[in-house]
Amino acid sequence: MATVHTSRFGTLEVKDDRFLHFPDGLLGFPNLRRYVLIDYKDTPLKWLQSADDPDVAFIVADPKSVVGDRPITLGGDVVQFLRIEREDDLAVLLVLRVEDGKVVPNINGPLAINSSRMMGVQAVLDRA
Amino acid sequence: MLVLTRKSEEAIQIGDGITVTVLEIRGNQARLGITAPPGVRIYRGEIYEKVRAENIGSSGLSPEDFARMKERLR
Repeated sequence: MATVHTSRFGTLEVKDDRFLHFPDGLLGFPNLRRYVLIDYKDTPLKWLQSADDPDVAFIVADPKSVVGDRPITLGGDVVQFLRIEREDDLAVLLVLRVEDGKVVPNINGPLAINSSRMMGVQAVLDRA
Repeated sequence: MLVLTRKSEEAIQIGDGITVTVLEIRGNQARLGITAPPGVRIYRGEIYEKVRAENIGSSGLSPEDFARMKERLR
């Protein structure tokens, strides 16, 4: 167990194997490499809370719940970086924000996660 | 910033692993060829900047924003 301090959720006790590692961080946050995913039963939305900066947390969701069946094509570089061996290990999350009252996904920068290694990377897609 | 002038087919070597070659210059466009070790991720500058700026704008949302989004996605 490890203690994570957050400005939104107080202090969290997190099992060591629940940390998500982003070796390169997210774009703009290269030094924040450990995150905790907080999910809920009644919404597809999740918080991706930095374990290293109490103030940094992103609202994220499964693409299906935000953009429907619009496909998100990740490059081979991402699959290689995450060392994906089985397709089932790959999960994708979109970072969301609110703009003019609308939910807007960061469609060019999906988060790709290898759920068996608990490792992630932010992809950068030219076309999305 | 280091500024170098290169002609078509000339290259720039960055460290031991990265080579950027000017393949073709036409009008105001330059075609570049890049070789880099696996794991070095290469992006168009403006897309990188867009994703970065959007991340920064999304990093400080509140539980109230979350609740509002949850309503919208219902």
